[in-house]
Amino acid sequence: MTRQRGTVEDSETGATALGSTDRLFDFFGRHRSVAIMAAMLLVAIALPLIVLAPPFSGFNTQGVWIDNFNGAGIYVLLALGLNVVVGLAGLLDLGYAAFFAIGAYTYGLLASSFYGIHVPFWPMLIVGALVAALFGIALGAPTLRLRGDYLAIVTLGFGEIVPVVFTNSDALTNGTNGISGVDRPSLPGIIFGASNPVPFYVTMVVMLTIVLILLYRLQDSRLGRAWMAIREDELAAASSGVNTITTKLLAFALGATTSGLAGVFAASRLVFVSPDQFGFTVSFTILAMVVLGGMGNIWGVAIGAFVVFIVQSVVLKQLTNFLQPLNIPFLSSIDFLQYQFLLFGIALVAMMLLRPEGLFPSSRRRRELHTAQGDDLSSPQESAEPLT
Amino acid sequence: MQKFLRSSAVGLTLLLVLAACQGNNAPGGGSTSGSGAGGGSKGTVKIGVDLPLSGNEVANGQPTFNGIKLAVDEANKNGGAGGYKIEINKQDDAVNGVHNPDQGATNAKTLVADPAVVGMVGPFNSNVARSIIPVTNEAGLAECSPSNTAVDLTKTGSDKLRPQNPDKRNYFRLAAPDDIQGPAMAAFDYNDLGKKNAYILDDTEAFGKGVADEFQKAFVKLGGKVAKRDGQKYSASVDYTSLFNSVKSLNPDVVYFGGTQVTGGGLARKQMVQAGMGAIPFTGPDGIADLGTGGSQGAFITLAGVDNSHDVYGTVAGVHDLPSGSDFSSRYKAAFQNDPGAYSAIAYACTQVLLKAISDSAASASDMKSLREAVRAYVFDASKTYDTALGKISFTSTGDIKQAFISFYKVDPSLNGGKGGWTFVKQQAFEGGQ
Amino acid sequence: MTFRILRLALIAAGALVISWLLMIGLTWLGTRSESFSNVVATGTAQYFSALTIGAIYALIALGYTMVYGIIELINFAHGDVFMVGAFVAYLIFTSLGFGGAIKSIPLLIGILLLGFLVTMVVLGVLGAAIERFAYRPLRNAPRLAPLITAIGVSFILQNVVQVLISNSPVPSPQLVSLEYRFTLLGASVPLLNLLIFLVAVVLMIALQVFVGGTRLGRAMRSTAQDREAAQLMGVNINATIAITFFIGSALAGAAGLIYGLYKGNIVFNLGFDAGLKAFTAAVLGGIGNTVGAALGGFAIGFIEVAAVTTGLSRWQEALVFSVLILVLVFRPAGILGQQIGERA
Repeated sequence: MTRQRGTVEDSETGATALGSTDRLFDFFGRHRSVAIMAAMLLVAIALPLIVLAPPFSGFNTQGVWIDNFNGAGIYVLLALGLNVVVGLAGLLDLGYAAFFAIGAYTYGLLASSFYGIHVPFWPMLIVGALVAALFGIALGAPTLRLRGDYLAIVTLGFGEIVPVVFTNSDALTNGTNGISGVDRPSLPGIIFGASNPVPFYVTMVVMLTIVLILLYRLQDSRLGRAWMAIREDELAAASSGVNTITTKLLAFALGATTSGLAGVFAASRLVFVSPDQFGFTVSFTILAMVVLGGMGNIWGVAIGAFVVFIVQSVVLKQLTNFLQPLNIPFLSSIDFLQYQFLLFGIALVAMMLLRPEGLFPSSRRRRELHTAQGDDLSSPQESAEPLT
Repeated sequence: MQKFLRSSAVGLTLLLVLAACQGNNAPGGGSTSGSGAGGGSKGTVKIGVDLPLSGNEVANGQPTFNGIKLAVDEANKNGGAGGYKIEINKQDDAVNGVHNPDQGATNAKTLVADPAVVGMVGPFNSNVARSIIPVTNEAGLAECSPSNTAVDLTKTGSDKLRPQNPDKRNYFRLAAPDDIQGPAMAAFDYNDLGKKNAYILDDTEAFGKGVADEFQKAFVKLGGKVAKRDGQKYSASVDYTSLFNSVKSLNPDVVYFGGTQVTGGGLARKQMVQAGMGAIPFTGPDGIADLGTGGSQGAFITLAGVDNSHDVYGTVAGVHDLPSGSDFSSRYKAAFQNDPGAYSAIAYACTQVLLKAISDSAASASDMKSLREAVRAYVFDASKTYDTALGKISFTSTGDIKQAFISFYKVDPSLNGGKGGWTFVKQQAFEGGQ
Repeated sequence: MTFRILRLALIAAGALVISWLLMIGLTWLGTRSESFSNVVATGTAQYFSALTIGAIYALIALGYTMVYGIIELINFAHGDVFMVGAFVAYLIFTSLGFGGAIKSIPLLIGILLLGFLVTMVVLGVLGAAIERFAYRPLRNAPRLAPLITAIGVSFILQNVVQVLISNSPVPSPQLVSLEYRFTLLGASVPLLNLLIFLVAVVLMIALQVFVGGTRLGRAMRSTAQDREAAQLMGVNINATIAITFFIGSALAGAAGLIYGLYKGNIVFNLGFDAGLKAFTAAVLGGIGNTVGAALGGFAIGFIEVAAVTTGLSRWQEALVFSVLILVLVFRPAGILGQQIGERA
């Protein structure tokens, strides 16, 4: 059984004659964590520089771009977490935003003047993640026995229930008004402010780096292989000695953990938590990010989430402002705000029709897909990805 | 642990690199310069706008935006403000067609990062204001909301929204807050309509629930009884019939709906009549009193149906007898071929206040940064008065309008050739501020 | 066959009576202080509004469950197909010049029949076209690919309606006057509610007969059971799947028309919401099972109204989904779903 490896390591097999680049790849292939750190560092430095160049500079200033990257980072975290559940373990979760909400509320309640408790941001990252994980286990334990599509609807229901609970528990969560005046993170000498997004940016980069390293290690671990085995064929996995319930539960808990982490970060960045930030559209957006990026491929999912977020909440939002001064006869007169979801919808459909495995499919998935193709008669049970 | 240390080192390097980039680039970003080809001679300043401008909420956002645009266009025709040509930096806070606090904050950051933005109008929704005010406050950007009514935005609790500069207010508004508007309708229902048993229904949102809570408090205080209190979250397929069925036997003699026509106001009235409770008056805040003609897109009377809109009363958190009232609507109509919305005139007035502040502070400000601060300080100088489309107005030190008026309106189905419209009933002045 | 229908009819009648009594009981719980006759009247009125809402959910749920049964796809665009149905009916009625109640009964019946016919055909074609262009190319793709496509199609349908017609709610013509009412146990109920219920039941029975007793229906069932084997037996798979989409979408179109008549208010994004509830109904009843979907639809309508009746309006959605979760935890395949293992 070939272990699933990321893009970096795929080159390993081809590298027999070691050139200098090959040697570099070889080094990074063996030291995955160092490779991730180097890559993240490169990306983190490159991004703020790229946006200084047109056309990006036409949309926003550098400072706002960095803040947008922070927003995108939240969704990258969320997508990475959901990827564990959907992409690796093959469990369809349609209410993932609920754990995001739980993470955000945990921070909002314990680090604001609402209860007068002000736990610092850094330990709360862990607390928020743990609380979300607990809820993940609490939801997962009774329901993970269900078939895939039933699990989908249960999670969807959970995703609907959580905001309703936050909306109606006036005394506990300030109800529909939400919690304002949530604390920002603090470090001596550094100001985490709305107009100073750089500290948030660094925090996000560090968080993402750690999460990526952990995810890669997990994916290649015994647990990661068990997830994939369940995704491929639950029955076979069970008969090979995988404890399917515990394994699925761990995927669920881990997904929730990442989501909780994202929630804490989001709450401290927005300094405000309210129930209407966590509706099912959030869950669907994250799911779309995972699928567009290529389920199962950690880097692909991260890039997918990043691109979808930037397109959705920066490019399409600012397109009208961007095009108006250019005076292009037809384009400048269109109010793109009205069409943003039409464009998004068309992109989703076109993407799936042209490249259903996602932009960056994992090599394993690609193989699965291509053996199945050209076999029109095959029943879905055999050819389609056994999600359940 | 070692890995963590390594990551931290990476982070630190990053921080340094970025700080360097930031330093080099600080003033460059926006399009500040202008040769003064348009109205002004000194260049261009911008009014930032954040409203829900896509999806279902266009019905609210667009007429409000048009009010702002009208004020800016008129100012530019008359030579701009303080020698500057005025432009608008427009941002949409709707995600998936629904106003979104997260997108609002992102938009506010975009606006404050544009150095030419010296004042801002918006947002439309109180929940979005809660995420925007911390951003604009930190940047010291004067922000005027035409429609926010949540009490804690300016009064008790508002310091939570200003963690960075608690003593430097920047947010002011022209709509009378919930604690004036809710009780005003309670008194109207109790005294003027003589109703004693109210059924209160809200949309579970920040605005709707807030104003309904204030209504309930005041109505009970007056001696009225609350037959039942319900909350029904609006969704596009919501059904109110069962709610009205369930209160029918409790014999309420008046209904108060906390919400807007977008979150179900019109539909609630329609289904109330269909449940056989048409004779009972339906009352609500400015969210339902949109003053739109029956038949016009998204208006209350359109959604309720003109046949069902009898006995409907609404408050508007502003003055009715506009000195320039009919004049404003005719200019609006000429510009946009449409009747003004409920917040068009207020948004127009918001813009007027900012423009006055810009033109009066332009001389003393050397650059955009000091102009932004001068505008903010100007607006919070309680001695200033403004001649606006709403009449002469001024603000309290907390940023609430001193001339808080509540105007009462009633639907008259016979207006506009049977299409229905809102008629003025009475207006009432309140001590603004506290 | 006849025995099965008889048994179903008996069960349905029993369920109708029991749920009526239950609703009256819940009303009593919600408003204890009132007189008995008031409780019965309110409970009866609530019962009929639950039946009406439930009928609409049930009709939409049928489409979900049929599509799922045959290609195992959660067709998220189905709710929006329902929404398009409401708008097609709106366009038909308004273009014929009918903006309100029609007084003449024969004319009313004629227009309604015409409306149903045209809406159902148009929507059927739309559904089949969506299948042809958006889902068929993905039949062998990973399971989630068509799901995402469905979400994309949903966005496209919503935005096309929004751009072409209106971005705010539109008053849809209520051709059946709500002044036609009947009084039952003190509750005054619009005749329209009963009509909607009957239309839904007729359509459901027609579907049962079609699926259970015709050649095409047999083809559908066999395709759902084992596509390959069905093909070997000479079933045209593509045509069968297209017909399934046609029927499911036509039913959603009928639901859209009914919804417009009942609500008098339609909006471009109403499908996602209603679709979510209907999908829940399909799962609640046991996805893939048409009788279950109908039952689930009525159950959801009942829970929604019961929440309001007992004073829990703020918790309505949470209650619907809590019941769903509880049912699935204790009966993992839904109320009527077969307790079969994973199809490997």
